[in-house]
This record gives sequence, structure tokens and C-alpha cells, in this order.
Amino acid sequence: MSGSAQGSNDMKKAVVNDSKNTEQPLALEKKPTTQLEEDDEFEDFPVEDWAEEETQIPAGNTHLWEESWDDDDTNEDFAVQLREELKKLGK
Amino acid sequence: MQVALEPFYEAYASGLSVPVAEFLSPIAPAHNPGRLYDFYRASNDDKLEGDVRYALKYNKSTRMTNRESGAWVDILSGYWRAVKEIIKADEAANQGRLGERQYVAVYDAWKDLTSTFIKHMSSGLLPTWAIFTLYFTANHLRKIAIRADEQLSKSKSAAPTTGYSDDIVSTGPQNQKLEEAARVFNRIFALCLGDRNPDMADSRKWGVYCIANLQFKTYFKLKAISLSKNVVRSIEAQSDLPAFGLYPRAHRVTYKYYLGVLSFLQEDYKKAESSLQEAWETCWSPSQQNKSLILTYLIPCRLITQHQVPTAALLAEAPRLERYFGPLVSCIKRGDLTGFDKALADGEPEFVRRRIFLTLERSRDIALRNLLRKVYLAGGFEDLKEGQSEKDRIRKSRVPLAHFAAALRMGGQVVEDDEVECLLANQIYKGLMKGYISREHAMVVLNKKGAFPNTGI
Repeated sequence: MSGSAQGSNDMKKAVVNDSKNTEQPLALEKKPTTQLEEDDEFEDFPVEDWAEEETQIPAGNTHLWEESWDDDDTNEDFAVQLREELKKLGK
Repeated sequence: MQVALEPFYEAYASGLSVPVAEFLSPIAPAHNPGRLYDFYRASNDDKLEGDVRYALKYNKSTRMTNRESGAWVDILSGYWRAVKEIIKADEAANQGRLGERQYVAVYDAWKDLTSTFIKHMSSGLLPTWAIFTLYFTANHLRKIAIRADEQLSKSKSAAPTTGYSDDIVSTGPQNQKLEEAARVFNRIFALCLGDRNPDMADSRKWGVYCIANLQFKTYFKLKAISLSKNVVRSIEAQSDLPAFGLYPRAHRVTYKYYLGVLSFLQEDYKKAESSLQEAWETCWSPSQQNKSLILTYLIPCRLITQHQVPTAALLAEAPRLERYFGPLVSCIKRGDLTGFDKALADGEPEFVRRRIFLTLERSRDIALRNLLRKVYLAGGFEDLKEGQSEKDRIRKSRVPLAHFAAALRMGGQVVEDDEVECLLANQIYKGLMKGYISREHAMVVLNKKGAFPNTGI
């Protein structure tokens, strides 16, 4: 069963190749179909080196990180609720 | 053959590794899709070496010594044999009968080519820049090996299964070709690292990092990550490498990324952060995939080392990042433990696959800290004493345990009073909260200055 499924896959590949109608050698690599699972891998850069302007540095590192707590917004629902709750406890 | 090698002569004359590597590629260039086929047709098995030798000897544009020329004859012939297998695989694909045999044949031929290249590189017959051409050849070997292994395991699982064969399949050699390729890469790495030529301009040491990166990728794929540490150790023990900053950025960024991930997995978050930060800053900005991978590890690092979260702008760098970290980050900021637990559970399969689950789990402490901090803020201020002005106001530093318990329960956590105390003790122990617990009074007495260090109160 699985053997025939295999065959039909190959057929599909062949059809795709034909429709493009080129002599382009089979993509032994860079098969777009496998890229979904391959996205774990650090890609080869298409260039070896680049200028500093093409790095992240020009954008700067400000505004990339912030403190982990919310600004003390006293109107925030939770804070209001909390104060109510604590008031009850206080009594 | 003379005509077929014309692009090689041109590439060689440039004295650059990349054009030569482009010639020796398993994929035909987009502008000339028939190139592999033409090259293949320029000779045949019987006449191959003679053809190539003759062509190299009598072409007018390339000058090389006889010995170097001999090395290139071997390499170009090896390449021709690999191309032959690629074309056979292609034809098989067109006839719908592409199977494991073709993939393995391509792999074997490409491995022979790589080995021949290594042999001549190590005997010093080739110019030094060719080490980078060898890198590209080896990188192709890696990809071809992966494809061959995939095909092998596919046809294995397609084979009829008997009752007990499940065990055999799962323990069998799944990555046989890639493992073999890894040993080839080791030889190239040694070849680079061990170059004794004191003239750095003419040293294979320039290939150290790109080959190391190739090894990292291979070991990660093989799930033999710890082997990467040997590579790092060898590099760190080598005192006479050129300064790191002089290597091409592609080599540096990739190396720092893997170095960072390795430190990350060893839970050395400080070191991981500095490597990943460097990789991030130097990364080529159009490279979305790599930037998002760097941030996948840098964000959890930063949470642990600095208790900082990414801004919306940073998460917007890649849709994946927002999906991964968006919910967690907003729960941390709100001090929403229940939401945090849910976000962590929702993302678990993905987080585990990326090996960031345990680290992210640790950031629950920060969500808790933020919740406790809110309780402290909600407690308000002590009444002013005589003679004190508004600016002398201090927050109530004694907070009943019951208040913390109430906040936790309001947030949906089911906790006993003892557990609350335990959570608080942990926060104090970890330095996230300053103060002590007075069990007698069921109170937490917080530091008047800096109850929650580095949070502005």
C-alpha cells in the first residue's frame, strides 16, 4: 500500500517537472516542499560578508527590550479589583 | 570539453573561491539550466580524465603548474562523475522512478569528489583560497546526505512490516550518510585548524569558522549536539587564529549563533546572551529566518538574565516570534500566572522542539514577582507623620500574607496558605523580592528601599 503511495508521489514530482518543461536538474536541494520542517536550521547566508549598514546596528537596540512589569496603571481592572479584595480582607 | 570548462577557467582566473564553487555546483545556474547536462555530454566514462587533462593543458587562459593541474583534473573528473549521477537521478525522476538508489549514488559520487578535494588541499597543490570552494563542496555534501538519508528512511518505512520490525526501524541507522559526511567535515576542520603556514594571508585557518559552522549544523541535525563542544574547544585552544573580527560576517554570525545556543543549552545564560546579542547585531538584515532563530533563543535568555521582555516592535520582526512569545510576554507583564501557565502549555510542543521550554518555564518567577509587586503597590502608603511632606511618603512595607494569597486566588491559582508562604520564600531567596516573612504575625516585611529590586520601587 505504502509502496504505491510512494509511486504516486514520484509521479506528481514528475508531472511538476514536465509542466515546467525545462531541463533543470531535479532540485536535489532546496525543495520548497520540505522547507516547512527545515525551518529549524540556520540558513546559509547568500553572501559571505556585508557592510555594517546592512546589519541590525543601524536600527539600534533601543526599543527592542522593555521592563517586564506593566507601568503602574492604577485604573487597570485587576488593580482595582485587587484593592477591593484587600479592603474586604482589611476589615 | 574545452568549451564545457570555459566557465571554470573564467572562475579560476578570478582567483576567488565563490565563482569556482559556483562552477562546481550540483545545481545548474538559473541563467543556464542546461549547464549540467552540457557538461555531462562533453565527455564519457572512458575518456573523462584524458579529456579533462587535455583541456586543462591546452587552454589558453589558465596557467597553473603541472602538479596543480593534475589536482584539478581529479577534482573536475570527480565533479563530472557526480553530475552524471545527478542527471541519472533527474531522468529517473522524470520517469517517476526516482528512489533511494539514485540518491545514494549521487551522495557517493559527491562524497568522492569531496574526498579528492581534501586530498589535494592537504597536499598543498591547490591555492589557499580553494579552501572556501571546498567548504561549498562540503556544504553540498551535507545537503545531499540529508536528502539521501530521508530517502533511505522513507523506503525503509515503506517496506512491508512484520510484527517486530518496528523496533528495528526506530533504532536503525537513520542518518547513516550524514554521519559519514560528519567524519569528512572533521577532516576538513583539522585541515584548516592545523595549517602551520605562518603567513596568515595564505593560511587555511581562514576556513576554520565556516567549517565549524558546517559541523554545528550537522551535529544539530544528527541530534548529537554535544559533539559541537569539541569543535568549540579546539577553536578556543588554538591561540594563533586570525582575529575573529577579520572573518567574514557570515562566518561570524553563524558561529556566534551556534555558540550562543550551545551555552543556552548548558544553561549558561550570561554567555549565551552575549554570543546571541553579537549574532543579532551583526546579522544580515534581510535574513528573516536567521534573525528569528537568533531571537528565539535571545528572548528567553534576556528574560532570565535581565528580566526584560521584547517590545512589540521586536516581536514584529517575525510572525513566528509573536506567536511564540506574544501571549507569554503579556501574561508576564500582567502578572497573570494562570494565563502564563496556559500560554506555556499551548506552546509546549513547539517550545520543547526548540529546546526553550525549561528556560521559559523559569520566567514564571517574573510573572509571580509582578503579581506580588501589584499587591505591594495596592497596599498604598503609610499615613504622613507630623512634619513630613508628600515626598517623604513611604509605601506600607508590612503586607499580610493573606493579601498575597488573595491576589493569587483572584488570578485563578489554587493555593494553600502554606504554598503561598513557600512561593514568597522562593521569591526572597531568588532576590526578586527583598524582605522577610514574619510567621508569627503572618506578615511579610518588605525592605523600605527596593522591595522589588530593579523595578523602580
